[in-house]
Amino acid sequence: MASEKTKTLNRRQLVAGAAATAGSAVLSGCATALGRSPGRTREGEITVWHNWSGVTGPRFVKVAAAYEKAHPGRRLRLVFTQNDLSTNQKFFTSVAAGTPPDVTFVDGPQVASWAEWGSLEPLTERIRSAGIRAEEYFPPTWRQCEYRDQVWALTCSADPNFGFAWNREAFRRSGLDPDRPPTTIDELTEVGDRLTRVEQGVLRQIGIIPWAQYGPANSIFTWGWAFGGEFYDPETRRITADHPRVVKALEWMIQFAKKHDPARVESMRQGFGTAEQNPFYSGKLCMQCLHIGGIGDIERYAPDLDYGLGYIPAPPDGEARSSWVGGWCMSIPRGAAKPDEAWEFIRWLCHSEEGTALFGRTMSVYPGMRHSPYFAESRSRRYYGDYVRILEDSRHQRPVMPVQAFYMRELQRAVEAAVYGRMTPAEALERARKNTQAELDLALAGA
Amino acid sequence: MVPTKGQRRRQRERLWTGVAFALPAIVGLLWFTAYPVLASLYYSFCNYRVLTPPRWVGMANYRHLFEDPLFYTSLWNTVYYAAFAVPLGIVLALGLALLLNTGVKGLAVYRTCFYVPSVVPIVAGAVLWIWLFRPQEGAINDMLRLFGVREGPGWLQSPEWSKPAIIMWSLWNVGGSMLVFLAGLQDVPKELHEAAGLDGAKRWDSFRHVTLPFISPQILFVLIMGLIGAFQFFTPAYVMTNGTGGPVDSTTFYSLYLFNVAFSDFKMGYACAMAWVLLLMVLAATLVVLKSSARHVYYAGGEQG
Repeated sequence: MASEKTKTLNRRQLVAGAAATAGSAVLSGCATALGRSPGRTREGEITVWHNWSGVTGPRFVKVAAAYEKAHPGRRLRLVFTQNDLSTNQKFFTSVAAGTPPDVTFVDGPQVASWAEWGSLEPLTERIRSAGIRAEEYFPPTWRQCEYRDQVWALTCSADPNFGFAWNREAFRRSGLDPDRPPTTIDELTEVGDRLTRVEQGVLRQIGIIPWAQYGPANSIFTWGWAFGGEFYDPETRRITADHPRVVKALEWMIQFAKKHDPARVESMRQGFGTAEQNPFYSGKLCMQCLHIGGIGDIERYAPDLDYGLGYIPAPPDGEARSSWVGGWCMSIPRGAAKPDEAWEFIRWLCHSEEGTALFGRTMSVYPGMRHSPYFAESRSRRYYGDYVRILEDSRHQRPVMPVQAFYMRELQRAVEAAVYGRMTPAEALERARKNTQAELDLALAGA
Repeated sequence: MVPTKGQRRRQRERLWTGVAFALPAIVGLLWFTAYPVLASLYYSFCNYRVLTPPRWVGMANYRHLFEDPLFYTSLWNTVYYAAFAVPLGIVLALGLALLLNTGVKGLAVYRTCFYVPSVVPIVAGAVLWIWLFRPQEGAINDMLRLFGVREGPGWLQSPEWSKPAIIMWSLWNVGGSMLVFLAGLQDVPKELHEAAGLDGAKRWDSFRHVTLPFISPQILFVLIMGLIGAFQFFTPAYVMTNGTGGPVDSTTFYSLYLFNVAFSDFKMGYACAMAWVLLLMVLAATLVVLKSSARHVYYAGGEQG
């Protein structure tokens, strides 16, 4: 009997102990959430979610250190966050959970989407009281931050998309004048054909792959605008993917696919790596649209490459000196704990002479702010100077509307369908227009 | 006999002790499984962008789904994959298991070799296969060249060959099923084979009428798990195509499309509707297999299938 009683007591104690343990675990969990959660920062410290990795990662850390040095009492907690047009789960979840960072980088074309879904704080008031004016920015870099009469971000890096690069050595080998790159689409086609070499049914050298300029969607943007087309009408909020000029551009793009089996072209392209195995360095691919980051890559991986850089060729009735702007913006997420300190950092990096110059110099990218001293330094440098001019002439940015990722995917599908001969360019682009318009209408209706 | 007061009290105490011990599991199940599942059912009737509150729209997501051409494309891709990958996987796994069951020397070494791919992380394996599939310098087309195929398929770059390529990848991972079959084969009574041999059965007859019935439960198990896995097929397609599902939508599998809808477009309501339709399809396929197989599956212990 006595032993039975002890047993019961023991069991009761055990249960109580278990409950106490569980309870304290729950309580300590709460304490963590309310008190010193991992997202909580010290006095004067803000959390910055950024996208600089690889060689740019350590460079960004240097920029941040310079900010801390120039601003005593301020500290930046840098967190690398994978962020591209299609993967922002981490950011959205953090905003939904009420624990966003204080500053986030946002891809230019995403600003409208992120603003529409309510994940950003508008900066309009702060910008006004800081006396920042739209004219101080390259027009596309300002436009991409403005949505529904509010400004949601400042452009930090402006990528002039793209420079047109040609391998001068390959030109010489094929008996072409390396100082005379193609300037019209007809010339580009002709030179492209001359530079393309097939041996025993296998492609050995290609002039240019029109649909492979940083992905099918970026390719159609690039050539579509060069042909004089337009992708979106912000006034009427109509998608215009099937603009006659865009259709013309796609018709031209797939000519190469008609001459050479696209699976075969892609096969050859698959052998290309990015960085050091880039086919442009080896002369397997003779011409391509080059992102500004490409200069640094070439300096690093193929310092002896003899190449020229200029404007993208365009048809005579298209848009001369055509280019568009991509790049990264900075924003304050909705619910950020320290928006004032966040704004101070954003303003320094995007809109101060020392911040923009340091950022440009360290990261080899251009600021969105026109009067940054970095431009004066770059103008006379080989290649970099070309990009300054391309940026100044730039007229476009990707459509400022909330279903950007969807539109990119539809454009990619359209280009692929046309390249592989499943649809005519007109049909493919009409499908992209129809699907994206439906998606946009749904989003604008608040769905 | 009516339990005494004391007995009842002790019973109650025992009950609560049990509940206390099971509590973490119960809470976990309710909070991390039941709640999300039920919430996703609710969201499937809503427009829900995660950052804004869900808004009830009734059947709109489901109606939209059945008018969405990409839904049918993704379904077709998935069914295509399941129709080839699952049966081929079973045949290959069974074949390997039969070979390993012949009592070859160094059995453990072979078993390890065939099982190792199943231990490799899926993403790492997929990246590796991207290299093998490279049309110009990949190992597969190199091998084909030895057999006189001058220009092998474009594999992942070709709309016609991308699905067969991914099916080939899936066959690399049959190690798990192979082990299941191997275990089953080792349970087949030797006396039956001997008896069949004495009665003049050839090797094939012995396999067909002795081995196969004995391992039919394993086949059913592998078939059903394979089907469920095929319907949820995602990771390699995502890795091998960078999530684009290309070329020309040829690798847009159901789960890949669902992922894009959910996490690229943030149409969580639509994605939830897709997930529930997927669940119903998997359920239906599993039931069909279970019902139609009842007569063909033999349980040695005498339980009903």
